[in-house]
Parts: sequence; C-alpha cells; structure tokens
Amino acid sequence: MATNIFGIAITGLQAAQAGLITAGHNISNANTPGFTRQQVDFSNATPLASGSGFFGNGVDVVTVQRLYSQFLSNEVLTASTQSSSLDSNYSQIQQIDNLLADPSAGVSPALQNFFTAVQGVATTPNVDASRQAMLSSAQALASSFQGIDQQLTGLRDGVNSAIGATTREISNFATQIADLNQRIIVARSATGGQPPNDLLDQRDQLVANLNKDIRATVVTQGDGAYNVFIGNGQPLVAGTQAYSLATLPDPLDPTKLTIGYRAPSGVVQLPEATLSGGSLGGLLDFRSQALDPAQNALGRVAITLAQTVNAQHELGQDLNGQLGTPLFSIGPPRVNSNLNNTGNAVIAAAFDTTNVGALTTSDYRLNYDGTNYTLTRLSDNTTRAFATFPQNVDGFTLSLASGAAAAGDSFLIRPTVDGASTLNVAITDPTKVAAAAPIRTAQGAANTGTGTLSAGSVNVPPPPDPNLQQPVTITFTSPTTFDVTGTGTGNPTGVAYTAGQNISFNGWTVQISGAPATGDSFSIGPNTGGSGDNRNALALASLQTAKILDGGTASYQGAYAALVSQVGTQTQQLQVTSAAQASILQQVQTAQQSYSGVNLDEEAANLIRFQQAYQASGKVLQIASTLFASLLQINP
Amino acid sequence: MRVSSNTVYDLGVSAMNQQQAQLLKTQQQMSTGRRILTPADDPIASSRALEITQADSINTQYGTNAQTAAGRLSLTDQALGSVTNLLQSIRQNAITGGNGSFTASDRASLAQDTQAMYDQLMTVANTTDGEGNYLFSGFQTGLKPFSPGAAGVQYLGDDGQRLVQVASGRQIAVSQSGADVFTRIRSGNGAFAVSAPAGNTGNATYSPGTVTNAAAITGHQYQIVFSVTGTTTTYDVHDVTAGTTVATAQPYTSGASIAFDGMSLEVSGIPAAGDVVQIDPSTNQDIFKTVSNLIAALKAPAGSPAAQARLQNSLTDAVTNLDQDLNNVSSVRAGVGTRMSEAATQQTSSQDLSLQYKQVLSNLQDLDYAKAVSDLTQQQTNLQAAQKSFLQTAQLSVFNYLP
Repeated sequence: MATNIFGIAITGLQAAQAGLITAGHNISNANTPGFTRQQVDFSNATPLASGSGFFGNGVDVVTVQRLYSQFLSNEVLTASTQSSSLDSNYSQIQQIDNLLADPSAGVSPALQNFFTAVQGVATTPNVDASRQAMLSSAQALASSFQGIDQQLTGLRDGVNSAIGATTREISNFATQIADLNQRIIVARSATGGQPPNDLLDQRDQLVANLNKDIRATVVTQGDGAYNVFIGNGQPLVAGTQAYSLATLPDPLDPTKLTIGYRAPSGVVQLPEATLSGGSLGGLLDFRSQALDPAQNALGRVAITLAQTVNAQHELGQDLNGQLGTPLFSIGPPRVNSNLNNTGNAVIAAAFDTTNVGALTTSDYRLNYDGTNYTLTRLSDNTTRAFATFPQNVDGFTLSLASGAAAAGDSFLIRPTVDGASTLNVAITDPTKVAAAAPIRTAQGAANTGTGTLSAGSVNVPPPPDPNLQQPVTITFTSPTTFDVTGTGTGNPTGVAYTAGQNISFNGWTVQISGAPATGDSFSIGPNTGGSGDNRNALALASLQTAKILDGGTASYQGAYAALVSQVGTQTQQLQVTSAAQASILQQVQTAQQSYSGVNLDEEAANLIRFQQAYQASGKVLQIASTLFASLLQINP
Repeated sequence: MRVSSNTVYDLGVSAMNQQQAQLLKTQQQMSTGRRILTPADDPIASSRALEITQADSINTQYGTNAQTAAGRLSLTDQALGSVTNLLQSIRQNAITGGNGSFTASDRASLAQDTQAMYDQLMTVANTTDGEGNYLFSGFQTGLKPFSPGAAGVQYLGDDGQRLVQVASGRQIAVSQSGADVFTRIRSGNGAFAVSAPAGNTGNATYSPGTVTNAAAITGHQYQIVFSVTGTTTTYDVHDVTAGTTVATAQPYTSGASIAFDGMSLEVSGIPAAGDVVQIDPSTNQDIFKTVSNLIAALKAPAGSPAAQARLQNSLTDAVTNLDQDLNNVSSVRAGVGTRMSEAATQQTSSQDLSLQYKQVLSNLQDLDYAKAVSDLTQQQTNLQAAQKSFLQTAQLSVFNYLP
C-alpha cells in the first residue's frame, strides 16, 4: 500500500503543478489580444479494486482546455465587422464634412462675391475696374469649385489606395489562417486530439482581424480546420488552401479600383454589393453613397451656373459692341466605354442647354442588347429604352459619335462628375463682359400719340437671331394697326395692335403700351455705343436667386446648401450609428471577456489554491516517506 | 458576474475617451464661438445658414445699390432743379418782353440775358457725373447728348434708362433720357398750337386756346380766315386737313372766344382782310427750340403794329411752350423725387432686414455661451469622476495582499 501513497502524492504534485503552470500562463497572457483563459481538467484516477473495496488512486490531468464560447465569439465578430465598416465610412465622410464646414470659405462666399461683382458691373457698366472685378471673382469662384473637387478627388485616390492595402491585408490573413489550419491539424493528430489552445487562439484572432477588414463567415471542419468565406460565398480559406483577392480597375470606370477574386481561371470582379462589413465595406459604401453623390452634386452646381450664366451672357453686348461670348467654359459629360466592349461605338454626350434644370446628380448606364439601348439612371434604376440616337435625357443629349455598338456593350455616363473640376473662366478681357443688351428701342421724335415702347428684351435661348441688331421700324397706320419694316421681319403690314402685347421679330421682344396715333413710329436697333447700358448685367445678377436646378426649384446656393445638408446628415447619421455600434461591440466584448478573459484576482486565488495543493501533496509524500522509514527502524 | 481584468481597463479608458471628446468639442465650440462646427452638428441649420448668408449678402447689395441709386438720382434732381430755375427765369423774360414801354434795346438786352440762360441750359443738358458719364444720354453715357446744328439742337442719345436693382423684383430707373426731359414736349397747349403766318398785316393777337371737349378734338389743321367788309369783320373757319369749312361769316369781336370742334381760343385786335390764324395739332418741340424762338422774337424789330402783334404772338407762344416745358420738367422731377425717396426707404429697410438676418444667423449657428460654460463645467466634473473612479477600481487587486 505504501507505494500507492507515493503514487497518489506524485499525481497530486503533478496536478497542482499543472494548475500552477496554467494559472501562470493565464497571468502572463492576461494582455495578449485574442487570448482565451485556460483551465486544467482534473479527474480522479481509476481506483484500485481490492477485497475491501476500491482505493482511490490519485488524480489524473485529463486536458488543458480554453474557456471559449463559439456563440459569444461570433457575436463579437458580427459586431466588430459592422463597427469597423461604420468607423471607416465615418472617418472618410468626416473629411467631406470638414471640407464643407466653414461657412466663410469655399463655394458659398465665392458665389456671393461673384454676384456682388456682377451687381457692381450693373452699377457702373462702363468702368473697367468693375468689369475686371467681375472676371476676377468669376475666376475665384471657378477656383473654389476646383479646390473642393480636388479635395474630393484626393479622397477618391485615398479610397483607392486604402482598398489596395486592405485587399493585400485580407489575402495575407487568408494565408496565415490556412497556415494555422495546417499546424492545428498536425498538432491535434500528434496529441491524439488534444486541443492546441494557443494555436486556436491565434487563428481566432486572425479571423477577428479579417472581420475588421471584411465580413467573413467561418465553418469548422471535422479535422479542426476553418473554412472562411467572403462575399457571396467565395472561399477565402478552404482547409490548408488560401485564396487571394486582387484589385482591378472597374471596366466601366478606370479611375475606380474594384475588388477581384483570384480564381483558377483568372481574376473575377466581385460585385461591390456583395462585399459588406469591415473597413473595406465601409470604404466601398463611402465611395458609392457619399463621395460620388457629393462630387456629382458639386459638379451639377458648377455646370448649371456655367450654362445659365453663359446663356444670359451670350444674349448681351460687350463694351466693344460685340455680342457676348460664353463667360465660363465647362467640360462635357464623361462617357466611359466598357473595356470589355466588342463593338467600336463611341457615344458622345453634351449638355442640353434648353433643359438645364433637368440635370440630376445621378450617373447613368447605357446597355445595348443588339437592337435596343437601355439607359438606366443609377440613382433610382429608372430605365428608358430606345433604338436610335440622339436622345435627350435629364438635361443632356446622347449621340453616337462614330462606330456601332455590339450586343452586350455597355457605357457609363457621368454627366456631372467633371463639372466642378472643368469649370473655368473663358474671358480675360474685361471689355468682353456683356453688360449691355444688344438692342435698344426708340420712339419717333414726332410721335403724337401716347404710345410708349418698352426697352425690349432678347429672346432666349442663345444664340441670338442673326438679324437681332437689324434696324426695325414699327409704324402705325391707324391707332389699331401697324406695319413693320426691317431686314428679317418679312415686313408685315396691317398687324393688329393690342396695348401691352408682346411684339417679337428677329429674336427680340418689345411691348408697346398706351394709345399710339396714326403715323407714330417706334424703332428697334443696335445698341451702338451703349456703354452705360446695364440691362444684361441686371439679368445676370438676377440669376443669383433664380430657381433653376432640380426642375426649377433650387437656386445655385440652394443646391449647394442641399449638398452641405446631405453630407451633414449622412455624417451625423454615421456618427450616431457608429457610436451605437461601438457600444454594442463593447457590450458583446464585455460578455465575451466575462467568459473568456483573464481575471487576475481569480488567477491569484488559483495560485494560492494550487500552491496549497502542492504543499499538501508534498506533505502526503513526506508522510509516506516517514511511514517507510518507520518500517525500516523496526529491529526484530 | 465575472469580470475580466482587461474589461476594467477597456471600459474605463473608453469612458474617459468619450468624456474627453465631449469636453474637447465644447472647448472648440467656445473657442470658435460657433455652435455648429461642421454641417454634421446640425445639417438643417447649416444649410439654412448658407441660404440666409446669401439672402443677407443680396440684401446688403440691395442696400448698396439703393445708396448708389440715391446718389445718381440726386445728381439728376439737381440738374432738373437748375433746368426749372432757368426755365422760370426765361419765362419771366418772355413776360417782361411784352411790356409795351420797352424799347428795342431793352428787348435786345433781354434777348442777351435769355441767350446766356440758353447756354446754361445747354450746359445742364450736357452735364456729366463724377465719372464723366453724361446724365441725359440714355445708354450711350460716353456720348455728349445735345449738340447744336443747322436744324436746331439735335438729341444724339437714346431712350435708354439705366436701372438699379434695389430690392428683389424691384428695379428703379436712375437715369432719365434727354428726350424725356428736353425734347419730347408737346407744343402749344398740349393739344393744339396756335400760330399766325408772318404775312398777316393786321395787329390781331391770339391766346393759346383751351380744349373744351377732348372727345371732339380731331387732330386736324384749321385756319381762321378773316374778311373785312366795311366796318364789319367776319371770319371763316376751315378744316384744312379735311378740306371742309366748319363755320362761315361769323361776326368777329375782339377778345371774344372762337370755339369749334372742342377747341376754344380768343383773338384780339384788328385783323386785316385775309389775315389768318392757324391751328395745328401739337407736335413735339424741344426746350432749346422754344427758347431760341423766344430769343429770335425778342431780337426782331417791333416798329409797326403788325410787327408788334407778331412779337406779342411769339411771346404768347414762348410762354405757352415754356409752361409745357416746366410742366414736363416738374413731372420728370417728381418721378425722380419719388424714386429718391424709394431708394432711401429701401436703404432703411435693407438695414432693418440685415439686422434680422444677422439675428437669425446668430440663432442658427452661434454658441450660447452660458449653456456652453455650464456644459463645460459639467463635463469637467464627469471626466474627473471617471478618472478618479478608474484609478481606484484599477488599483484593487488580490496581488496587493499576497505575501
């Protein structure tokens, strides 16, 4: 029996040692990320049967297990991938928010300064300084549009490079997980199925890190390996095999990096919609939901400004007596042909000057199925089918510049994206500011009636009628009829007169009111030498408050304010949701840590417990040894 | 519940981070004075602030414009005041010229005086503003509007009126075309003008006449032709335009009114047989023509009774036309005055509106310092509490008591 006591004592010593080792391991890893506390499983050893019953045979150390909850860990993964998606989106959109933050800088004051300068020209149309001030402030306005657009383009470049870095990181994680899978399979089989706890922790930590980049789902295999899937079920890790992601330019928009999956057959583009969660998902969301719309909205204000100001400017007359030329220049809508197109069609797009207010901030996709074209407005997926060009859509015109499309070809049309970056001032000579109207009207000096002639206006849209400035005379042949003479009018006679009614010839419109007498004459002619005329400047100034955008419901400043408000709302929303998600993450992390985390007080207690157990087992050994010695001391 | 030792640190740090972020935001708000640091802080208020900033800027511009308009109009008003004074003096001269005791040399000096005023009138009509722009040339501000020529004074400007935007939807004219002030003025009494051909030999004079029935006015040319049979003087009235005779062999009494077709005038004196008084519909006659006619009449010899009558008739014409001129200038000046007062009103209302906009803007985006200070103190207390409690909690450990 004595040998038994030794044996029992030794199992007790070993068990206590195992407990101390584990407690020590837990204490030293208390701050290791992803570490799960471990505990030793003890079991009483198989007893020794004898006639007088079963005698205990000490303690067995069964295994060291980690206190890991699949459920809680999954909760953390889900919350964390969502949280890092929102965080990365929020940190990006904050930059746009900050960009638009200062009300005393940026587009809004530049817009106001420009129109103040236009009013300055209206006040003193023949002073060079006021004309120069108008051109300078127009330049400043264009620069402020360009400046903000540059920052947005910078953000876009930043998104592209972050996508590249994240994609590489994801591929890297995949390799490491596959590698750990391999080591775990080997370790398990080498120990007859004992769990290699620390390797498992490392792998779970990698999965957690992977989920911070992109949402990934894990399926555990029978041999302990993880299979990891992303997107629509594309395997990223299958057992010991790792797959990788790559970046590739969007075939419809080469300036945009998208994510590709390296399949055995080559790199396949992954649809953005399937890649959610993680910082990658956040970046993609930011790009499609905040950056593109913001850049388009800014571009639209610039385009509408350029078009409407130009249209009015072209109806005016400059200080040299010439008709006005466009004040601003603006780039055409951007059309990208899909790199995979098989046809050679070149689609051209131009702004529709007659329908400026219809321009939207959306992008459009044009598909060709062999007979019909389908144009999809991407903001709301409204489609429109047609077979021939040109087509007028939402403030722009599409036409086939050359070639022919093949079935399956597609094109991306981005009408407004380049607006802010291409806005420039086209005039440098201050005398070319068209402050005057090109025509003026006069009443005959010998008129005896009370008829008065309005100052006249030039008909929209530009270009003005070629005969606009031809001298035209309206002569009353009776108090109720008049004749018109002048090139381009067709010299009608006996036209019925109604006081205040519009009289339109050669692209101008005048009104005669009052009671003209027979023989009274009124003339319309070129505004030669009209350096003091400010009619066109006044018309330009009135554009500041004109409701032009969004189908005639918003002014330039209103549309810009809508952009600011939209970005502000999006940022605010992300601020709230990311804070909420962070708090959810904290809660599930606390719950998970509550089960798996190390508590130092608890480990201190374990240390004392196993120290005492060790001391007690030592005592047993000492007693067993004393017993043996006392036997030896018996002298017969 | 079991608590992981790390959780104590994680939660403590995260709580302190949050408190610090809030504190920092309040601090930023206080240092900038802005409640809204970025649009995200209040998207609706920030977009409204943009709209109101623009409205304020436009309103300020309207105020400036109204000031400019008032300045321009006051220049025009001064010029029109000078014109009125000159015309009144000239009219005085015309009346004085009719004094029967005046000699030819008296009239000559009157003519000289009138000539001087004519020149002043011309100067006023060609007035420029401080920037060298002509006031009365319409759109062609660089063009001298009135220039004397063989056919009288020509108006070279146009009918253009420069407008200034003084409120949304309200543009007021700040210039007056020269035609409106100086040239487009009805001659005679405004409806018709009476004249006597130079060939009259009698000494009949006429009054400018009045319209008794505006509806009956035909706009035709008439001639009143006198016949003398013995001591009886009669007259016929012919409608020259229509080629008809309106009245025949009417007995003539000096100073009695002759009325036909809605018109009435008096002829006085003794007309000779075959003398004619002609009535034409009013035409436009510029001020310069009126005044130069007067000067010519004052210079003309008035020795014979017929010449005397011509002088009287010319003076009557001059006074009648000058009255038209004065009327015209007064009504133009009244318009200018109305617009001046409108510009002044707009200036005031623009200032009032600006105050309102500033108020609204301030409500939208400015910080309430009292609240901010109170928030800051509270957040400070919270942070200190978080720091203190964290330290105390984190220090608790069994290891402290292990031997």
